[in-house]
Parts: sequence; C-alpha cells; structure tokens
Amino acid sequence: MENLGRAFTLLLAGFVIVFVVLVLLIIIITLYGKIIQAAQRNADKKKQLPKPSVDPSVTKKAVTDPAPEQDSEEIPGEIIAVIAAAVDAVYGSKPHHIKKVKRSGRMRSAWGNAGLAENTRPF
Amino acid sequence: MDIFYQLGDIIVKLFNASGLTSLSWENYVMIAISFILMFLAIKKQYEPLLLLPIAFGMMLVNIFPGIMGNPATQLMTFQQVQAAGLDPASYTTTSQLLTMEQVVQQNLNLADLRPVLMNDGSQFYEAVYYNVTQNGGLFYYLYQGVHLGIFPPLIFLGIGAMTDFGPLIANPKSFILGAAAQIGIFITFIGATILGFLPKEAGSIAIIGGADGPTAIFVTSQLSPELLGPIAVAAYSYMALVPIIQPPIMKLLTTKKERSIVMEQLRPVSKLEKILFPIVVVVLVAILLPDAAPLVGMLMLGNLFKESGVVERIAKTAQNELMNIVTIFLGTTVGATASGTLFLTPKTLGIIALGLAAFCLGTACGVLFGKIMCWATHGKVNPLIGSAGVSAVPMAARISQKVGQEENPANFLLMHAMGPNVAGVIGSAVAAGVLISVLK
Repeated sequence: MENLGRAFTLLLAGFVIVFVVLVLLIIIITLYGKIIQAAQRNADKKKQLPKPSVDPSVTKKAVTDPAPEQDSEEIPGEIIAVIAAAVDAVYGSKPHHIKKVKRSGRMRSAWGNAGLAENTRPF
Repeated sequence: MDIFYQLGDIIVKLFNASGLTSLSWENYVMIAISFILMFLAIKKQYEPLLLLPIAFGMMLVNIFPGIMGNPATQLMTFQQVQAAGLDPASYTTTSQLLTMEQVVQQNLNLADLRPVLMNDGSQFYEAVYYNVTQNGGLFYYLYQGVHLGIFPPLIFLGIGAMTDFGPLIANPKSFILGAAAQIGIFITFIGATILGFLPKEAGSIAIIGGADGPTAIFVTSQLSPELLGPIAVAAYSYMALVPIIQPPIMKLLTTKKERSIVMEQLRPVSKLEKILFPIVVVVLVAILLPDAAPLVGMLMLGNLFKESGVVERIAKTAQNELMNIVTIFLGTTVGATASGTLFLTPKTLGIIALGLAAFCLGTACGVLFGKIMCWATHGKVNPLIGSAGVSAVPMAARISQKVGQEENPANFLLMHAMGPNVAGVIGSAVAAGVLISVLK
C-alpha cells in the first residue's frame, strides 16, 4: 500500500516535471527562434539596400521596372531573383514587368511532391 | 581393438560436450524465438540493424551459454594443476588449514600437506592451492559496456550526430507530444507496483514505455541491474516491432478524417538556431535534472558536432563507425542476455508483458494528445504524429508517415512527425532522470 502511494506520487511528480521541463524548452526555443529570425530579417534588409549596377541596360530596365511587390511573408531576395529570371526566360524580348510575387498557397507543388515521394519511398 | 575403444571414447566425450546433452528445453524455445526474430529482420526488414544482432546473440548464447560466462577463480591443488596441463608457476597460491575429515573428503595426499599442531592440541593440515583464473566468455566482456552504462550514452552521441532537430525547432509545440508519450512510463510504474515489483524494478520496467533502448538500459543499470537482460531485450524488441505494434493503436484512436489531415509546411530553420539548440537544451536539462545529463549531454554533443559544421570528421565518425560498432556490441550482447533458463521465468514474462503495455500506453497517450492538439488548432495537426512521441527514432516517425499515407497518398507527415519523435528522445531522457533521481 505504501509502495502504491509512492507510485501515485511518482506518477504525478514525473508527469509534472517532464511537462514543465519540456514546456520551458518550448518557451526558450520559441523566444530565441523569434529573436534570431528578427535579427536575420534585419540583416537581410541591410544587405538588400546597396544595389550593384553591372550592365547599363540592366540598370535601365531596373529603373524602369519597379521592384516587384512581395507578400507579407518575406520571400527571400534570391527567390525573387530566380522567379524574375524564369519569367524573363519565358517572355524574352516581349515587354513585361513583375508587379507582385505572392505565395500561391501552402500546398506543395508537383515538383515538391515528386521530390518528397522520391525521398520517402523506402518507408 | 584399442583403437575402436579410443574412438568410441572420443565420440562419447564429444557427444557429452555438445549442446545435445547440455541444453534444456528453455534453450531450444529461445533458439526458436531467435529464428523468428531473424526471419522478421531479414525477410520483413523490421529494423534489421537492431533485430539481427539481437536475434543472433540470442541464438548463440542458447547454443553455447559459456559465451556469456563470468570469469572465475578456481582453487586447484598442485596435482590438479599438473593434470590439467597448466604451469603452476603462472598462478598465485592460497593456503588453507584443513581438518583430517576435509583432507579425506577432498581426496588429498597427506604427504603433500604440512601438519600444523594448534595450541589447543588439535591437528590441522596446511594445503596449498593455486588460484587458477578462467577467463569469461567473449560476450561477458563486450557486455560490460551495457552493464556499466557506457554504450547507451555512446549510442546517444551517434543519434545526436544523425538527428536533425530542425522540425522540432520549427514547431516547438511538438515537445508536448514528446512529453505526452512519456505518460505511459509513469502509468506502467503503477501497474508494475500493483503486480508486486519493488519500486526500483517497477521504474526499470516502466521506462520500456519510452521505446528508447539506450535509455532503458541506462536506467536499469542504475536502478536494478539484475533485470538488465529482460528489460533490454524487451525494449529493443519493441523498438524493432514498432511497425506491428503502433498502427492498430493509431487507427483505433483516430478517425479517417483525422488521419487525412494535411499539415502546413514547416518554416525553414536557420543554422544559428540549430547550433544554439543543443547548447540550450543541455544547459536547461542538466541543471534541472543532473541524472539525465549523461544521456542528454551526449545526445546534444553529437548534434553540436553535426550542426556546428567545424568538426565534420568527428561528426561522421559518431554517425557511422562509432554508432555501428556500438550497435553491434550492444545488439549481440543484449540478445545474449536472453538465455533460456534465465529468461523463461514468470517474472521475466511479466516484465515483457508490462513493457508491451507501457509501449502501447505511450503510443496511445501520444495519439490522444495529438487529437487534443488537432482540436485546439482547429484541425491543423494530424493526430498521427502524436504516436511518434515515443522516441524510437526514426521508426515511429516513419509509421506516422506510412499510416497517414494509407489514407491520403499525397500526405507527407514524416517531417512533422520527426518533431515529436526527437522530442520523445529528450522527453524519455528527462523521464529517466526523474526515475533515477527519485528511486535511486
């Protein structure tokens, strides 16, 4: 009976301690995750400020074409550049400019699904 | 004719020395079980990295129990040493005073003994014995890594070096599922206590519910080393049999709609976050629960090797060579603890049954908490990832992926399930620290 009482105490104590430790970890990881993300966002913005000019024609186009509008979820500059290059490759000499880059949804693309399927096939 | 008698003698001696005469029915039962486990490992590929060495060690020890034999020191007389073809000069000696009755019992030659007359007039004879040491079996020495709790932290080092904590950092709420799956440990502790196990024994049995072999071995070596064999075999067998045990529980506790939930993609995690994670975890856990420090410390050290990117050679060694070597030694010697005569006892069978209950309860608690999170997030969390909270990495996460994909082939839960899965490793190490600090 004494052992049983002790067992129930351990059940309660163990349950509480494990949860408390892991909840503390949740709080700490969430906090430092947010701090690091904010710091990196600032660093990225600073990096984007100076715009290197290489080719006069490109510079001209960059001046005439306003920078595409990004959605609120901060698509990295490299991704915007890749998308712009892809659009340019499709339209070629036809007049065009990108107004906005927006994530279409949270679902994966067909390529993403194919990649995941490839990597998870053994399971 | 003599040659035939000698031949006959040799055949009789060989027969007597063979397993055909020395093995009991329990050994044969365990050999049959080892064959089944080998079949599951090779044909069905149920965690062959674990199950194959375990099954082979189990088979070997039941055919030749001496492979796990303890080293022993035997006292031998000069004549016995010579008869055994040994060099007496190689051994230390011990002298003993014997009565006349003992001399006769041991069939010693009086001429070899020195008579000693005691003050009270009684007559004794001083016999000189040689301390002939016999080495233990091969697995006895390899098993010391398990017995002394050395292999589990080394395995954790390798696991840490192989684990990507990114999914957990991206979604820290996964820690809740990792904690929920540990409830099975504490519920089983009560069950084992009710069945009459001592608190330390109950703690060692309950930790099987964490589905973490190294943690189970570590806790048992600290609390009740005499139960190490059955507990290690149970823990590793259940880890290997995750694909059989978990899916029915997961399907029973979830609806088709819940299993079909597609979760949002996780945010990318920066390198700095990944480097800071092991340091933060080890500082917090080791300060709050020092008993969990060897396991969590090594886990996080391995992870820091990987994420820092500056010690690539060490990280690769921890992931591959070290991990593989320790797995071979641990698997075979854990299997070798399942000697039929010691293993097939009511107590051991009770431990195996309670371990299974602990494992099932852990899975069920994880899934149930997954359902709570599903409800709390208005259907954004697939409850199947909760079962990965038992820490069998990465098997439990793979099962979440597999069961989810049975309902919706376009659903990829693997990375989402890895969060609770690695949280389960940390959670079971924390639960181990609680059990050791309270029960030791």
